[in-house]
Amino acid sequence: MHTRVGAFELRDVSFIVPRGNYGVVIGPAGSGKTTLLETIAGIRPLRAGMVALDGRDARALPPEARRVGFVYQHGYLFPHLSVDENIAYGAASTERARETAARLGADDLLGRSVRGLSGGERQLVAIARALAARPSILLLDEPFSALDPRRRVRVRREVRALHQEWNITVLQVTHDFTEAGLLGDVAILLDGGRVLQSGPPERVFREPASPYIAEFLGAENVLAGTVHHLRDTAPDWSASADDLSDPAARGKHAIEFRAGPLTLYTVGDAEEGSGHAVIRAEEILLSLEPHPSSARNVFRGRIVEVASSGALTRVTVDIHNTPLIAALTTRSADELGLTPGQEVHASFKAMAVHLC
Amino acid sequence: MTPSRISHRVASVVAATFASLFLLFLVAPIAELVATGGGSGLRKLTTDAELRSSLWLTLVTATSAVLCGVAGGTPIAYLLARKQFRGRAVLSAILDLPLLIPHPVAGIALLLVLGRNSVVGGAALDAGLRIVGSPIGIAVAMLFVSAPLYVSGAREAFARVDPRYEAVARTLGDPPWRAFRRVSLPLSMRGLIAAAVVMWARAVSEFGAIVVITYNPKAASVLSYDRFTSFGLSEALPVAAVLAILALVPLTVLRALRYGRTAADTGWAGDG
Repeated sequence: MHTRVGAFELRDVSFIVPRGNYGVVIGPAGSGKTTLLETIAGIRPLRAGMVALDGRDARALPPEARRVGFVYQHGYLFPHLSVDENIAYGAASTERARETAARLGADDLLGRSVRGLSGGERQLVAIARALAARPSILLLDEPFSALDPRRRVRVRREVRALHQEWNITVLQVTHDFTEAGLLGDVAILLDGGRVLQSGPPERVFREPASPYIAEFLGAENVLAGTVHHLRDTAPDWSASADDLSDPAARGKHAIEFRAGPLTLYTVGDAEEGSGHAVIRAEEILLSLEPHPSSARNVFRGRIVEVASSGALTRVTVDIHNTPLIAALTTRSADELGLTPGQEVHASFKAMAVHLC
Repeated sequence: MTPSRISHRVASVVAATFASLFLLFLVAPIAELVATGGGSGLRKLTTDAELRSSLWLTLVTATSAVLCGVAGGTPIAYLLARKQFRGRAVLSAILDLPLLIPHPVAGIALLLVLGRNSVVGGAALDAGLRIVGSPIGIAVAMLFVSAPLYVSGAREAFARVDPRYEAVARTLGDPPWRAFRRVSLPLSMRGLIAAAVVMWARAVSEFGAIVVITYNPKAASVLSYDRFTSFGLSEALPVAAVLAILALVPLTVLRALRYGRTAADTGWAGDG
């Protein structure tokens, strides 16, 4: 699709969310996420391209004929109507509206005025309103952002359950990478009005198409360097038992990646020359002694920072003046007694290195 | 006291003096008019049949003009508030034109289009409808000079309603007209009523265009002018005072609407 809002353009945006699947759109502020949803809903005109909903060309269909439910981040509850009236607005009956409200845990809000609701309650009512109309496709624009953590878990679970029970195709905008991974069957990464990458969330997260995407998705270790194909080392690799047996047979190369003083080993189809290596922090193991594992990449370094945030702790290790960040559970970090200045071994498998 | 504080205090005193004088300039003539002629004007309402019928004529024609203005102006106001289209700026300028030209000139222009020698006026006369020199002429003159105020106010009222409310209503199954009726109209109703009240007040106070197109029967403003030129200030004063008191009615309605809107806005804050 191609559409324009003022000076902003969505251009060459192309992706498919199969019927009954859950798509998540991830992108920074101003990347065109809301415009994308509005164009799919028919609220904004399509300048060129094609929107197909439920397998039929929707270009000529007005919003009311698209069977699309839309939830804006701020809810846009009708302020002149009560909570009940809002939820029942597009529903076939008041009973169906009440059922949907109860299912989402919004029944305690029935009978109240919209004016006194908190931001999270507004989002909840807006989701109930959209679902009560039994849409075929649900478009959610950061719908859980204002919900308190307890309610967020329940509403997220119920939306996911209703999506499966009623076979609703969902497309949700989110900033929350965890949410994208939890909910999504398809992830679409949007920036500057263009799709940077799309596919299963796991693949987008593990195999970002560019260093920019890797950093945007929160990859902690993105190293610039050069790619060299290793042609005579296959036997050695298969001996490493690092799931790399015979890469050539799979159409891939055994690769040596040099990033300053660090040399990493991996496999892939990257061309020789300059490139970037991405290693997610949770793929790096830390140990006080050399780890007796099959990991191909093992480095000795000194801890420069230990930052704990709840259950997870991020440890920055300096390896020949190159910082590598490892993520491990706070319990593990405590058991190892990791402190700045301490020497540790950082290891990760060749498969943990993604080149882009 | 430092020099900067002294200069700040002097500037405050000067500003307050100018503001007070300006306020006095606005209030004094009307207060004097109501104080001097208000009592006799209200008494005259019971004894002066011409004044009563003139006021009644003014109220009826002004209300008719407002109804016509609302019927024709609301779709235009909505269009201007919601849609981007070629010629939008020209349409806006055309709508403001009646506000910019002198009102007797507006009356002359209407006379050219609706007079008995014009195509429209002649056809209306043939159909038994007299425009010039009739209450219809008064309503037409009022409509011409005051409708732009309604369109402007209604446009602002629609523009204040976020179009996303309507978009949500559309996704919930409403065709455009139903979304307008169920969402945009109720949400902009206060603003539309306020715009209609402003139009009504302007219509009631119109003189220049009315006097050209319909001297008789006399609208209240024309009667006031007629009494002044025929009998002097003492006879014109009660009529003028009653008109001034009449102007307080829309002023009070507008205040009430604004208070209501402020209260409502406080309750709706945060949505959208």
